[in-house]
Amino acid sequence: MKKLILQSFIGVLLFFSIWFALAQIDWVSVFRIEKMSNQTEEKLGNIFWEIIKKTEKENKNPDVIATVDTIVNRICLDNKIDRKSIKVHIIEKKEINAFALPNGHLVIYTALLSNSDSPEELSGVICHEIAHIELNHVIKKLIKEVGISVLISTTTGNRNTEVIQETLKTLSSTAFDRSLEKEADIKAVDYLANAKINPNGLANFLYKLAEPKNETTKYLTWISTHPESKERADYIMEYSKKKNANYKDVLNIKTWNKTKEDLKLTSQN
Amino acid sequence: MINTTSFSYNPSEHEAEKASNSYLMSLIALIAGLPLPIINLIATFIFYIGNRKGTYFVRWHCTQALLSQFSMLFINSFGFWWTVSIILSEEEITNKYIAYLFTALIFNLTEFIATIYTAIQTRKGIHVEWWFYGNLTNLICKSK
Repeated sequence: MKKLILQSFIGVLLFFSIWFALAQIDWVSVFRIEKMSNQTEEKLGNIFWEIIKKTEKENKNPDVIATVDTIVNRICLDNKIDRKSIKVHIIEKKEINAFALPNGHLVIYTALLSNSDSPEELSGVICHEIAHIELNHVIKKLIKEVGISVLISTTTGNRNTEVIQETLKTLSSTAFDRSLEKEADIKAVDYLANAKINPNGLANFLYKLAEPKNETTKYLTWISTHPESKERADYIMEYSKKKNANYKDVLNIKTWNKTKEDLKLTSQN
Repeated sequence: MINTTSFSYNPSEHEAEKASNSYLMSLIALIAGLPLPIINLIATFIFYIGNRKGTYFVRWHCTQALLSQFSMLFINSFGFWWTVSIILSEEEITNKYIAYLFTALIFNLTEFIATIYTAIQTRKGIHVEWWFYGNLTNLICKSK
């Protein structure tokens, strides 16, 4: 019996030793398995951003930019995220939407800013999108939707405009997997709590969007790309209860009101 | 790894053929059942059930063939489901995964060669005991 135990032990040990020894070889590069490199991601991000820049109007109002920057700076600083890695772009649009592109590009539509009732609500949405960026969801989604070979060929000269347009549309107006959305929500609450911003803002924003009679419903792209709002708001509230309640204001009310007024004026023009 | 010893009695021609078939069964099922690793275990198990009332020599070799399939089932199932998760989810191909496939291949190949060798030897009526599995079979399979 002792011999049998010893033999089984040696057998298992042999298996794991061989596995461990073989794992030391860099098979991925030996077989040249295509991997998304940082360079590819950078190129993809630039390609998408160039298209948006050409086709959409950017909001360059310094007050609006400063407001968004204040929020993003605080979130990045308190969560040890490299601020330079997040490139925020504000686009003049009536759709309530915000989305992340490869290489840390974060696009926010002005309608989302003007439909946020408090800086906390806006911070919640920004945190959610930063979470998608930091958790590498954008690339995961792209690989799933269009495939790694198409993505790599896009960045290596073979630029099929139609494919790029379609891919951009996927990023801006389709949802992530439910599991990825939940992961980003939970991460967003962590970010908000670390930055001492009340996470209820994110939940409120989702509750608001879940109301069927909301007058802005027809422009609610963010809601169609982020389904099950009420359910999400519920678990965000539940999860945020566990967090420290010592929250501080992100912006003073005057700055926030000024931003909202600026946005109103720009939309009227 | 493989030990040729004398059995407690000299098996007859008919017994040697049946015992040898138990190994062949796992080989054929292995080829037919790929990539589902459970097929060869099921095939060997059915053969074992069919021969559990056979003579000691036949029973002994059916048991050894069955037991050897068990460890391969664990190794191959793990590799199989790992591959499925790579295809269907966001799991990536890593060095660890490829190393696992090679390790599984080495073990499968060793088992494959040992099975062919044992099938030939037992057909000649020669008793072959595998490392570990031979001892385990001795523990389970007793002469009546």
